[in-house]
Amino acid sequence: MKKIGLTTTVPVEVIYASGNIPIDLNNILVNGDLEKYIGIAEKAGFPRSLCAWIKGIYGVCLVEGVSEIIGVHEGDCSNTNSLLEILKLNGVKIVNFGYPKSHKLSDVKRNIKEFMNAYEVNLLEVESLRERLNIIREKVKELDELTVEGRVSSWDNHLFQVSCSDFWGNPNKFEEELEKKLSEARSKKPSKKILKLAYLGVPPIMNDLYSYIEERGAKVVFNEVQREFAFPRHAKAKNIFEQYLNYTYPYGIEFRIKNLEKDLADRDVQGIIHYTQKFCHRALDNIVLKEKLPYPLLNIEADRESVLDERTKLRLDAFIDMLGDM
Amino acid sequence: MRVLGMDLGSRRVKICSMVEGQIEKQEKYGTVDFYKNYCKNIDGKIHVNFEKLGFSIADKNIATGYGRNNMGLYGFEIINELKAHTYGAMFATGLKEFVLLDLGGQDVKVVKVEKGIIVDMELNEKCAASCGRYLENMANVLELSLDELAQHSENPVKLNSTCAIFSESELIGEISKGRRIEELCAGINYSLYTRLKPMLNRFNGDTLLVSGGVAKNKAIIKYLGENYNEVIALNNSDFVGTVGCCHFGQRKA
Repeated sequence: MKKIGLTTTVPVEVIYASGNIPIDLNNILVNGDLEKYIGIAEKAGFPRSLCAWIKGIYGVCLVEGVSEIIGVHEGDCSNTNSLLEILKLNGVKIVNFGYPKSHKLSDVKRNIKEFMNAYEVNLLEVESLRERLNIIREKVKELDELTVEGRVSSWDNHLFQVSCSDFWGNPNKFEEELEKKLSEARSKKPSKKILKLAYLGVPPIMNDLYSYIEERGAKVVFNEVQREFAFPRHAKAKNIFEQYLNYTYPYGIEFRIKNLEKDLADRDVQGIIHYTQKFCHRALDNIVLKEKLPYPLLNIEADRESVLDERTKLRLDAFIDMLGDM
Repeated sequence: MRVLGMDLGSRRVKICSMVEGQIEKQEKYGTVDFYKNYCKNIDGKIHVNFEKLGFSIADKNIATGYGRNNMGLYGFEIINELKAHTYGAMFATGLKEFVLLDLGGQDVKVVKVEKGIIVDMELNEKCAASCGRYLENMANVLELSLDELAQHSENPVKLNSTCAIFSESELIGEISKGRRIEELCAGINYSLYTRLKPMLNRFNGDTLLVSGGVAKNKAIIKYLGENYNEVIALNNSDFVGTVGCCHFGQRKA
């Protein structure tokens, strides 16, 4: 039983089916000492002007002694590709996986099959794991839906969904905690009036964003990418291939927007917070999102701070304040 | 419904009343004159004498501005200055997408508005070198009115200093070189523009709206045209925050 590092969501069923334990390195990074992990990468020559996630993941791999990771060479960024090369130099074993640019079922199928071969598991084993994990995903989906009624905090909505990338390396324990949170939420009364916000983009590197938004009287009722990590449309997929095809994050922005248009209308959001990581190519997505989505949109950015900076707070204040007037 | 809006600026207090979306009356007062002659301190709260000011009693009073947090203003709802100016600019133009530059007596604000909501902003540091007060000072040195100063934009003399006080010595240096008064005025206007430019760099957009007393300065409006497709100096530019308070109050009703 090995610990396998993840840099983003991959068909985690395959790893569990092989008896190994997936660990999302991003989660170790944000829950640990950001400066320490990033500092290690910068000492090794990673530039200041590079995404903090990439540097942090490098630091985590070295400090935590990660010996094997899944290298997502398609559907993630080019910085990740270069990071993989450096990790290889450091003796880390890289197992490849890719989300095909074509976004075709046949290509997804081929890639997942290759991934299964690498871990020597068959489809039956993988499907049985998928069935098990989808029971948990269904519960996460309920938690997500309860958020819209104001019965789950913005932070918990974020936390439980983002954790579906690896189920904490221990699905049973994760399910236990989730159950507790769910029963708490079910017993709460729905809030009558909430200023509903959607959060788009990669999960935030700072950990006080959600509490700050709630202090200002608004609530995040939709976390785009975190929700994708939890596969809310899993029930529609007949098999693992379809499940990972119907996943927006690694594919083109058009597919992403198509899903967003429906989801944001369903949740009746009043405004959007779009987070982009400093130095990330996804900052350009902001132009498209602003143009295509008919909601007021605030683009916020952070580099390596674990808390919100004053300017971003001021911008959030004004944005939420004015949305409240509408 | 009548709403009274008040902008407590650093140099002037601006008051406006609005009835059913129409501006009824607007006046401005020197800040000291306003506090001294039209306000009364009762139990630590400042009560404004509307009658003496010549304003009818309103259903709602909304205030904003520099002085808003320093005083307990009786009977007023207080709103943020950025919001007040944004509402004022939307009321004046009907636009929902713009960059708003508010050039006040002692501060400068830049706000980016998209789909009718503030999405970005910048406030100047505690320094009056990029504000109206700088123009007042320099006009005094030249013994000119602000209106005369505002007319000239051609062949500006170079005033490089980032500091308003050192700019004054630079200006005196240029005077002693015998430069024409028009070129000196242009130099003053241009130096203010060059201090504003870095603040505006992040605020791209097609339309720039300018509010605050300095919006009356034609030369600065002309220079700003280099950075935007369209620059609109708002009418009654020093009342934008006040009108914004009224508009906000009417919308909320």
